[in-house]
Order: sequence, then C-alpha cells, then structure tokens
Amino acid sequence: MSARGLLWIARASLRADRRGAIVNTAAACVGAASLVLFLALGLGVSHAARRMFPAEARLVDVVPGAVSLGGVLGGGQLDDGAVARLRALPGVADAWPRLALRVPLAVPGPPRGLDYNWPPGMTVQVPVVGVAPGLVAQDLRGRPFVDPRDGGPIPTVLSGRLLEVYDKTIAPAWNVRRLPPGISLVGVEVPVRIGFSIVPQKTEARVYDGRLVLAGLSDRVPLYMAAVPLDTVRRLHREYGKSDQGYTQVTLLARRPDDVPGLVAAARRMGFAVDEGERAAAERVGTVVLVTTGALVLLAAVMCALAALAIAQSLSASIRGRAKEIAVLAAVGAAPADVRAIVLAEAGIIGVLGGAVGTLAALGVAALADRVALGLLPDFPFRPETFFAFPAWILLLGIAVPAAAAVVGALAPAAIAARVDPARTLS
Amino acid sequence: MIRLAGVTKTFRDGEQALPILRGVDLEVAPGELVAIVGPSGSGKSTLLYIAGALDTDYGGEVTIADVPLAGLSPTRRAALRNRAVGFVFQSFNLLQGLSALENVMLPGMLRRDGTDRADVRERAADALDRVGLAAKAKAPPARLSGGERQRVAIARAIFTRPRVILADEPTGNLDAVTGEGIISLFGELARDGLTVLVVTHEERVSRAAARVLHLHDGRLSS
Repeated sequence: MSARGLLWIARASLRADRRGAIVNTAAACVGAASLVLFLALGLGVSHAARRMFPAEARLVDVVPGAVSLGGVLGGGQLDDGAVARLRALPGVADAWPRLALRVPLAVPGPPRGLDYNWPPGMTVQVPVVGVAPGLVAQDLRGRPFVDPRDGGPIPTVLSGRLLEVYDKTIAPAWNVRRLPPGISLVGVEVPVRIGFSIVPQKTEARVYDGRLVLAGLSDRVPLYMAAVPLDTVRRLHREYGKSDQGYTQVTLLARRPDDVPGLVAAARRMGFAVDEGERAAAERVGTVVLVTTGALVLLAAVMCALAALAIAQSLSASIRGRAKEIAVLAAVGAAPADVRAIVLAEAGIIGVLGGAVGTLAALGVAALADRVALGLLPDFPFRPETFFAFPAWILLLGIAVPAAAAVVGALAPAAIAARVDPARTLS
Repeated sequence: MIRLAGVTKTFRDGEQALPILRGVDLEVAPGELVAIVGPSGSGKSTLLYIAGALDTDYGGEVTIADVPLAGLSPTRRAALRNRAVGFVFQSFNLLQGLSALENVMLPGMLRRDGTDRADVRERAADALDRVGLAAKAKAPPARLSGGERQRVAIARAIFTRPRVILADEPTGNLDAVTGEGIISLFGELARDGLTVLVVTHEERVSRAAARVLHLHDGRLSS
C-alpha cells in the first residue's frame, strides 16, 4: 500500500469513529501542551536567570588567598610573575589582571544631556577597577581602550546590567527619570573629580577634574564598578604615590568549560583563592532551574506516557469493535502488515493533530500567564518580559513526542488488528 | 478460474474435531456462474473463503486465477485477493465512514503500484455507473437502500477488474425484486468472462446459475 493510500484509509477510519478520535486527540493534546509549556517555562526562566547572573562558563576569577602558604609555594601576591604562571597553566587561553583604583574618584554631576536623570547637587563616589583591554575587547567593537596620557577622557566600561538596575532601582530611589528607551550611552562623557572622596578625610591632597567617556558595556565588569584601562590605574597610583600591592584579581579564560575545575584546583594549589561569588550564584540558580525544569518535564513525560496508555486502551477497544471492518479490508486486499500500518497511521495522525493543538494551546497559555504575571509583579531589575521561551525545537518536540507516544501506544492494538482472522470474522 | 482439489476443513470445539469439508473438488471456468447450495452450517461460506484465499487453515489444493495458493505469503495472498478476487457479502460489509464512491475506491487505495488517486476515483465512478448508482456516489451507506448497498458492494468487487467473483448469500438481505436485479448483474459479469461462484440457499439464485452444486455432509454433488 502506498503512503498516500495508507493515510487515506487511516483518515477514513478516524472519520468513522469520530468520538474515539477526538478523545484520543485530546489525550495527546494534554500531553503535548504540558510538555511544551513546562519546557518553555524552564527555558524562559533559565534565560531570565542568565540575564541576572551572566556568569561565563569559561571564566575563573583568581584572587589573593586570605591565608596562604603562597610565600613558600611561590603564590600569595598576584604580581606579574603570578599572572605569567597562571597564564602558563594547561587549559588557560588567556589571563587578564585587574587592579582596584586606590585613589578616590567622584562624579559631581550628570553626564552631558542626561541632567533629568541626576538629582540636583548629588555627587557619587565611583569604585574604579583597572582591567586589561583583552577582558572587555569583545564588547568594545574596536573602540579604543587605552590610557589617555594627554589628559583626555578616560575610556570606561560599565556593566551592561547597571543600566537595568539604574532604571528599575536607582532612578526610582533618586526620584528621577529613567533613561530614555533605546538610548545608546556609548560615547557619553561624564565629569569626574580625581582624588575627591565623599567620605570625610579620604580626599587626597591633590584633586583635579577629568572626564570619563563610556567606551562600552560588558558583563565582564562588576555590577557597581567602572572599568578603566589597567595603565590608567597604574598611572594614577604613581601620581598619588600608592604602593604596589599586586593585582586585586586575575581573570583566567579557560579553553573549554571542562578545563575550569582543573584551573580552579591549580590556582588553589598555587596559594590563591577563587572568587566564586557570581559563578556560585549563577550555578545555584542554574541548578534550581534545571532541577525544577527536569521535574516538570518528567511530569510532562508521565502525562505523555499516560496519553499513550489512554490511546492504547482506546484503540484496543476500537479494534475489537472494528474487527469486521478490518476483515473487509483484508478481503479487498489488505495484508496483515497493511492493517498494522493503518492502525499505526491512525495513531500517528492522532498524535500529530493532538501535538499541534496542544502546542498551540501551550502558546496561548504562556501568553496568558505572561500577561497575568506582568500585571501582578512589580517592576524589578531584570524582570523578564516573558517567562517562556519557544525555540523551534520545542515546537517540533511538542508535535513529535505525542506522535511518537501515540504510535508506541498503538503498537499493541496494531498487532491485535493484524491478527484478526478475516474468514472467521466474516462468517 | 477456480480449482479446488481434495479440500478439507475441520473446526475444533475443545477436544472435539468437527470436519466441515471432507475432500471437496471443484472447478469453475471463466465465464461460468456456479451456485453452491446447502443448508445453514453446511460449510458453504467456509468453502467460499478458502476459494478466496481468506482462509488459510485447510487441507488440499486451491488455485485461483492460475495461482496456486500453497506456500503464498500473507502479503502475496492479499495482493492476489486485491488483484484477482472480488467478494460480495450477504450483509454488504461497506465501511460506514466512507461514501459509496470511497467504498468502491478502497481496493484501489490498497494497491502498492502507486496508482494515482484521481485515476482510482475515476475507475470507481465507472464501476458505480456500471451498477447504476452513479447518482449516489457521495451518499454514505447509511442513506442507501439494501439493494443499493449491495450494488455498491458489487461495484467494489468489480472495481479491480478481477477474474473471480465470490458471493456469499448476496440476495439474503434483499427483497425479491431487488434480488432479481442483483442476480441478473451476476449473470452479466459471467457473460463478460468472469468466474462467478455464488453460495446461497435461495432457489432464485440457483436458477440463474449454469451449474448448481449441493454441499452436503462436507462434500459437493451435482
């Protein structure tokens, strides 16, 4: 029998037993809807968590050990020698040192053109860290990130998440406007007072005006810090006579995520510590999301299995009631293999239809849930616009899994149908 | 052509063996309409299903349309039924989910030769036209009279242009006038060169047959 003939007969059989077909399609639909909804929810929440905790799987932040035998083992202070040794570890693609600026720096007023986003008269102390250009190069798109020795504006990189925090938390607290939607802050200059601190007695003897220019946004920069070129921090430390205390942190880029555990262990053996604050938070959230999604998908899989069982039971009953019809098919030329294929095709059609309807239902439920959630939840930083993600593979899975479950459920009924004895049934 | 040689069939009721056919020999030539008569339970239908390659649990030799059935796989037997045999049943056995035309199309849709659906539909329409039901092509079986349903069943049987027509009490559920029409249709088919074997217990059918054979005590006699 040709595939076209098979589908034609399967559709006709389903038409003859509309009620059974509808019940079976509904079972497949429930399985598909739950599977798609739970998978999309897990993926959507996972995306939201990654926005909130954008830890890169290949980065390891090495910091000086609090208590270490570094002096004996050659570790301890993060100087250039330590950076070279860390860079030489197997599995390290690159190593970027960071150095916290120990000279106070304050922003006395708003960036040009953003007066409405700044409370009048406010001065903000900005923690600054010097970073190797390689750390943020991927986010600068070719814009320069070098120390301006001529007194020009200092290129600065901020955390991409800071804008979200400003809009959702800082601006409401300051009672000022949020940033205009879609604004590109790259290139904006901010006046700064170098050497000035808002903390009493922390202002340096020499204070002078300068400018920061926003060179880019990067998730590799700490949330509440401004990153400037490492050479700028070194220069300011020299200007203000700050002693060399070594780097505050070295960020290692592993060649592969699998290399990270080995690098962490090696750094610890060298007497350094590993800052796992953000990574640990991201991993904890990731684990929670994974476990929750896994549980929900397991539940959906159970529902699909139950749908398959329901279809199996319903088709078995249907086959018993259609024995004469099957015998007639045999009389007009259907081989047992054809009969088996017809029953499986019926199940496949039911599964595909149920899967398609269930997937559409999941899309609808997700849209509704998003609407309700966004109406009820306060506007907090990184609040997702949607809690669901529907990549094409989930939609395909929403159709393929119920179809496969229905076909698996139909294996036994198909075997029963193929064993119908036409001569005895028609007698 | 149908040829049965020494065909035996035994049913089992628990430990007890009930022989129903005890060495049946039969040969029906192309263009011949043969009726087998006998009382209920005499094995007429069983004989018909053996002759039509539907029943495989028997002894003896059977040849249909020059094909010996011995050793044929289920798939080849099915293909032979599809290509060379047309069945007509007492209770019509039309599929309720299909229209009259679609019921006639059924053997065509089961074919493996990739016949175009439009071609199958056209040939099915021709078959319906031949039995005088072209106007009822779209009607479901439930809206047809008994005679019309049997005509649809005959159209389904002749759709594949078979060499053998096997009819099991084809007028058993029809009134006298309608039954006569069906019987004359079988006569036409035989005159067209088909081998027609009808099992019945009705005299009016046997009157139209070229030969009438009696099945009694598991054996055929003239």
